[in-house]
Amino acid sequence: MNRRGPVLLIALLLLTALLASFLYGRRSREYTSDQFLMDTLISIKVYGSDPENLRMAVNAAYTEMHRIAELADSFPHPGTAAFAGSDVCRINQQAGIAPVPVNPDTLAMLQLAKKYCELSGGAFDVTIGPLMDLWGFGKIPHIPPPEEIRAALALVGNQDLLLDEIKQTAFLRRRGMKLDLGAIAKGYATEKALQSLKKSGIRKALIDAGGNIRVLGRNPHNSPWRIGIKDPRKSDGIVAILSLEDAAAVTSGDYYRFFEVDGKRYHHILDPRTGYPAVENMAVTAISSDAGIADVLSTVFFVLPAETALKTAAGLGEKVFIVTADHRILYSPSLAANIELLPGTAYRYEQGR
Amino acid sequence: MNRADKFLLAGILLVSLLSLMGMYGLFSSAVNTTQAIVVVRGAIIRRITLPVAGKSTFVVQGRVGAATVEIEGDRVRMREAHCSGQVCVNQGWVSHPGQTIVCIPGEILVRIEGAAAVDAITR
Repeated sequence: MNRRGPVLLIALLLLTALLASFLYGRRSREYTSDQFLMDTLISIKVYGSDPENLRMAVNAAYTEMHRIAELADSFPHPGTAAFAGSDVCRINQQAGIAPVPVNPDTLAMLQLAKKYCELSGGAFDVTIGPLMDLWGFGKIPHIPPPEEIRAALALVGNQDLLLDEIKQTAFLRRRGMKLDLGAIAKGYATEKALQSLKKSGIRKALIDAGGNIRVLGRNPHNSPWRIGIKDPRKSDGIVAILSLEDAAAVTSGDYYRFFEVDGKRYHHILDPRTGYPAVENMAVTAISSDAGIADVLSTVFFVLPAETALKTAAGLGEKVFIVTADHRILYSPSLAANIELLPGTAYRYEQGR
Repeated sequence: MNRADKFLLAGILLVSLLSLMGMYGLFSSAVNTTQAIVVVRGAIIRRITLPVAGKSTFVVQGRVGAATVEIEGDRVRMREAHCSGQVCVNQGWVSHPGQTIVCIPGEILVRIEGAAAVDAITR
């Protein structure tokens, strides 16, 4: 060994140790936080090197979700602070009376709702409040008499929801009309939370808002996130696995809130054109780059017949996965590269749609 | 440098490379056990390694009263709950990592943790 040998070795060792400690300090950590919010459990998972930054980013994201939840909350009683803070409550209270100044986010949600109502020929309608109240989902659900359904249906009408972008107001033109943002607020809030995480410098995250999934970047193993699609009839099963990056997957199903009378299932996703629960599908998953759009689309596609839903999705450049009421599974051809099917005996998988 | 030096150098490089890989979890023997975690009002109150032998139940106190969790083999369910919706009870059994049973009124959460085939489930 010459004289420079040991010096070189020691220098190399030190360098390695330095590099190792640097990399160790910057290794990816996970931070998870759960909160009960918007009538469901929200779970936010983020990854990054600085634990304090992760915690603060998640807190900011929750603050954003709370803000949207308050705007869209339809349950508080008049006279309370929650009522005053809810744009939806104030719009409902002023139905047939006067336009109400609203938060830009409320206006954005209502514009989104209006757009997809028109696009789907009324298969989705944010003014469905009177019908939802009548069926009693969330309280004691029951089958209402047909004449009451007709009366409630008369109060449902997207064309009578007037939005003024310049004055930033919303107005339900007829007395008795009522907004229900149940099919949109959670997705919109999820997207807002994700954008907040991004602003805080987060590059890897998963938000699970009661089964509405929004992912940012890739998973901790640096592969696309693997998102299972629940089997609508087996509590413990999944029918397919999606590979997603920077995308949202939202499912509407007939199994979440329902009751049965004489062996027939009545669930909470009502067809605004008939006043009765939609009958075409058991579960529909919409995949989009935006969680708010995915949320609305999952309801739109749930109400539409599967073939129409697939065509509509293709026209919009969005993706959909459908389990029909007659046990068929269909999905957008554009999903083919990002989906792993788990065929069982319960469903017939139809390819190439 | 003679031959011994070169071997030593190669050895050091190899060891440091291996330890770096180890740090990144390439060799991590991450515990592959499956656990059921029971969270009530934000606090973890039970952590049960699955599967369990036979069947057992225990009662937790949620925000709106008591709820009974049942464990049988590798699966868990909400057997009884004093909430109005009964969504948690109707959900039935869960056993796969990533699955959850949630009682919203009671603020009770049962989550299966472990080496999951999926990162999350849309439902």
